[in-house]
Parts: sequence; structure tokens; C-alpha cells
Amino acid sequence: MNHLDDDAELYALGLTDPERTVEIEAHLATCEECRARVVAAESAAAALAATLPPMPAVRRANPWWAGLATAAAVVFAATTALEGNAAHAASAQLQRTDTALVAIASSHFGHTTLTSQPGIIAKAIYSHDGTWCYVVANGAPRGAHVVMHRGAAVRDMGALDSGAPATLFVHNPGHADEITIVADNHVVAHGVPAY
Amino acid sequence: MALDGPAFDRAYRTYAARLRAVAFAVLHDRDAAEDAVHGALTRIWSSGAYRPERGALLPFLIACVRREALDTLRGQKRRHLREVRASADDPIAIDETAAIDPIEARRVRVALDQLPDVQRDVIMRAYFQHRTLLEIARETGTPLGTVKSRLAGGLRRLHTVLSGDHL
Repeated sequence: MNHLDDDAELYALGLTDPERTVEIEAHLATCEECRARVVAAESAAAALAATLPPMPAVRRANPWWAGLATAAAVVFAATTALEGNAAHAASAQLQRTDTALVAIASSHFGHTTLTSQPGIIAKAIYSHDGTWCYVVANGAPRGAHVVMHRGAAVRDMGALDSGAPATLFVHNPGHADEITIVADNHVVAHGVPAY
Repeated sequence: MALDGPAFDRAYRTYAARLRAVAFAVLHDRDAAEDAVHGALTRIWSSGAYRPERGALLPFLIACVRREALDTLRGQKRRHLREVRASADDPIAIDETAAIDPIEARRVRVALDQLPDVQRDVIMRAYFQHRTLLEIARETGTPLGTVKSRLAGGLRRLHTVLSGDHL
């Protein structure tokens, strides 16, 4: 494939059609020259984004993925010697966030929306290597437990916390066949992770 | 060693606000904007698509979220599922004071002012009015190829100016 030329900037602005976008991304994986051009273009496009006003007050107080910040913090803390110090400068925080998000963004983890009873929205986020799993649930009954199945084995991983959304971080759950949320001996949500 | 969750959360929210603003500017709908951010982040994080050689993380995330939002917007337009509230009559204006980072917003406006009019005009139409290339060509009575080269040239020049070479 030839170099991207003007398509590098058009891609950075989101103006290439889906078929061309796929071609461009394939090309970027192998062409350092075009990658540098796209990086520069995306940097200019991000500057334009800096002029945008913030989104008005959020209707959903806790979108499920806000929990990812906590998951990311836990994962990051588990792998990095991160010193807690409230006095750190804002720039240092941002740099750390970058490091943490880079670690997450370049790690491989999956997510599954659990099939839930009405009124419950639940997701599981998990590392592909089975070293952690993070369950986030909106509307689950208080005190509900996360239960994982593997073959004939059934393991109670503990109770969701009382936050909104309720969450549970599980260390080393291994590869489960099914992840469920159980309240009063009833399964209120269940899903199959795709490792 | 402490978890330092609050510091992480504060910094993360700085990113999330930028990403939501990008999606909301395109979609004019809070739930749709959140879904676009969620969709883009999930895709990136579950595929491990980001590599450090792709440059700084934030511009990459912004580009991904914007693409996701534009896909949603254009899907809506195609299917006529709902009224798109980004009106054709929206004024082309940058409100520095309303920006998340007013100082950066001012720097960008000053940089935009240094572009040739024809380049600035297509960038404003493409970025702030979310026009497609064909729409810009039609609106301005300009051949499609010219629109593309003005946009690409304008963005390259903007990058150069913002990088400090011309300041």
C-alpha cells in the first residue's frame, strides 16, 4: 500500500470512511513514516478538542465504566510501586495516569455484560490471564455475592460492596466458565467471559 | 505503598471530561456521548490496540472517541433514527471561557487565526460542525479534492504553529 498522504490528516479528523479506515489502520501497523504523520495530526486534532466546552452535568451519576478507574488503580498498584502522597503535583498525577492507562491500554483484558434481572445492569471486566476480575453492578440487591463456576466447581468470591455501582475486585480468580451474581440463593445476573 | 486511588481518580476524571466533551460536541446527547466514550475505550482496552509508538495517549484516545461519535452520528443520519441536534445554523465560534482548559483553548484559537482563511474555514466546518467532506464540498462550492488538500494542509500547519515553530 502507498503512503497515506493527505489521508493521514483526514483519518486523524475522523473523516475517512469505514473501509478506508480499516486500510489505514493496517498500514499504520507497518509504516513508521505514516504513523509519525498521523501522530502529529492527532496531536493537532486533540488541540482543537481542547477548545470544546465540557459536557453538561451527567444524568447517569455512575456510568459503569467509571469503575474502570478503580480497576485500573488496583491493577496499577499491584504491578507498580506507586507511592501515595496527596501532595503530589497535578502534573505528576497526570504523568502517572498516563503510565497507568498505558499499562491498561496495552494489556489485554475483556469485558462481558451479564444477563440480568430487570433493574440490574452488571458487567465483568477481567484479565485474559485470569489474574483478576472486576465485577460492577448497578441495582443489585444489597449483600449480593459474586459466584464463579468452573466445571463442577462453584466458588463464592465474596460480596459486592455497598457502593453505587456496587463492585467487587477478585484477585486470581482463574478462568471461570461463568460469572454469576447471587442474592438470596437466586441468580440475579450471569454471563460467560471470553478469555 | 498506598493505593492512591483518589489521586488516580482525579487524574482519570481529567481525561474522562475531555473525552466526554469530544463525544458530546458531536452527538449533543449525554447518554449517546457516554456510550461513544465507553465504546471507544472498551474497544481499545479489550484489544490492546494502543502501543506507545502510536504517540501520546490522550490524542490517540480523543481521535478514537471522535471517530466513534462520528460513526454514531452518521449511523443516526443514515437511519433517521432521531433528530440530529447539531443544527446547520450552529455558529462557528470557539468559546475559550467555556473550555475545560481556557489557556489551551486560547492558544489554539490564536494558532487557528494564523491559518489562511480557506484552511481555517474547512477545519471549522469539519471539526466544529461535523461536516463530511462531501457536505463541505457542496456547501462551499469547492471540488472534493481541494477540500481534502485544504483540510490536510490546514491541520499540518496548525500542528506546526502549535509546536512553536511560528510563534
